Amino acid sequence: MKRPALAALLLALALRPAAGQLVIVGPQFVLADYREVASELRYRGSGVGGALSARRDRLSVEAAVVRLIFDPAAGSAADSGFTATQLDAWVAYDVAAYASVEVGVLHRSADPEFDAQSVGAVRVGGRSFYEIGPGATVVFRADYLAAPKFSGGGRAAVSLDLGLGLDVRLAGRLHGTATYAFSRMNRKTNPGGTGEIDAPIQETVARVGLALAF
Amino acid sequence: MASLRYLRAVVCLAGLAVPAVGAGQAAQNATLRRAQQAYDNLEYRQVLTLARAALRERLTGADRARAYELLGFTYGAMDSILKAVDAFKQVVLLDPERQLDPNRVSPKAYSAFDVALRQVLLVRQLRVDSVSFVGGQGAVPIRFTVTQPARVVARAIGSGATVLIDSGAWNGQVNLRWPARLPGGDPVPAGTYTVVVDARLGQNTFSASQPIRVSHGRVDTLPSITSLPGYQILPETEIPPQSWRPVGLAFLYTGGALVGTLGLEGSSLGSSSKRELGLVGGAALVTGFVMMLRKPAPRPAEANILYNRLLRDQIARRNQDIAKENVARRQQVQVTVAPVSK
Repeated sequence: MKRPALAALLLALALRPAAGQLVIVGPQFVLADYREVASELRYRGSGVGGALSARRDRLSVEAAVVRLIFDPAAGSAADSGFTATQLDAWVAYDVAAYASVEVGVLHRSADPEFDAQSVGAVRVGGRSFYEIGPGATVVFRADYLAAPKFSGGGRAAVSLDLGLGLDVRLAGRLHGTATYAFSRMNRKTNPGGTGEIDAPIQETVARVGLALAF
Repeated sequence: MASLRYLRAVVCLAGLAVPAVGAGQAAQNATLRRAQQAYDNLEYRQVLTLARAALRERLTGADRARAYELLGFTYGAMDSILKAVDAFKQVVLLDPERQLDPNRVSPKAYSAFDVALRQVLLVRQLRVDSVSFVGGQGAVPIRFTVTQPARVVARAIGSGATVLIDSGAWNGQVNLRWPARLPGGDPVPAGTYTVVVDARLGQNTFSASQPIRVSHGRVDTLPSITSLPGYQILPETEIPPQSWRPVGLAFLYTGGALVGTLGLEGSSLGSSSKRELGLVGGAALVTGFVMMLRKPAPRPAEANILYNRLLRDQIARRNQDIAKENVARRQQVQVTVAPVSK
């Protein structure tokens, strides 16, 4: 139910640019690092995706979809890779000239299903942004990942998400974008009722791309 | 003695004949000319017959008025006062401006003419005097005569405006003074107007008009100003001096992401890859460095904006004063009013 509503909001903002409204959309190249349970289970991946952001007055929305192919990193205990599809979305409201509060969602699914955890969570946090020059903006965000759900079960009371973003207007409507995201979920599971064990998940993602502004 | 009485009678009758003869040009209608001839010869019966016959013919307005006037004088000479009054009523209806000289007509005929005038609603002798005055400090004299007590409205009708001059219930000689101004105080626009006086008494109405020309003298108005001498509009943006701020902020934001990443990394998962942060953080630092070297973007100069606002307010206030002064100057224009022949 949430996804259609979010998609409708994004579509409405994207299709009807008006005064005080800016829409930026473009493809991205993605690099990622994924670790789960222990340091021996680590993957490196790359992929492609797309991002869209829109702003109208104080309200802004941002969404990114990426498809990543993870392979076991050097020295990893994993013997096969997997493919992940990740959706990130935020809705933010400016509370000051350089700060916003935001909410959003994170959803990552793995294929094959049991080679990595599929995750869904709600984001709540804030961001700071600053125009460091004409057409160049840096963003730092920190979100708490609330109520995470894992395909393998378990819970994660402490889950955080950090981000660094850069948006530079290169020429006219052409923008260059770069986004870094680090998420850490201190997942705990209780397999077979023998007691909780730690099964943390950690991911870093870098998205670099070009975008057109409307 | 008898010859003296005859001489007096001839002089008296000659006095009766003078107005008819001097009323204007000779009559165009032959019958009317014969009637006039008969009147000159004191053949009153003949006058009545010929004048009535002339009235049955096709006559111009002036001839018709003259025929009735002959009848009026003849009835007056024959002591038929009521018939004389009726004939003179027809005369004034056809020629409202007709006047009799009391020194040249018999008292009977004059009194019959006077009675006739008071029995018909007329606006006569409308006169507008030539005058020149400064707007607001003078007026245009307008005179006319209303022959019966009536509700009278006087207007000036022009292509640009219709102005009510005055109205009231008047009788006899009426003297008006028209300031030639619009309700707002401005003088009436220059141009040709018609002063129209409408009189109404019950179902009877009568109008008289007089064209006039209104002209204005030259008015020296002040032009609006766009600037104040010695004061100039200042630029509302300024380019700040170059600073370390862009690279400092990029470093701060990237450092925040690095510190957060290092702080959140768990020892159980080992140190995460810094490839991603290096890529994005490096891009941010390079961007900050480039922005530091670039010419900074203009930013609003608050002090200049406030100064310009004050200056514009002053200019607007001065222009309002100029506009008020110009209005006063336009109202005090030299107005010249002159009647125009119909």
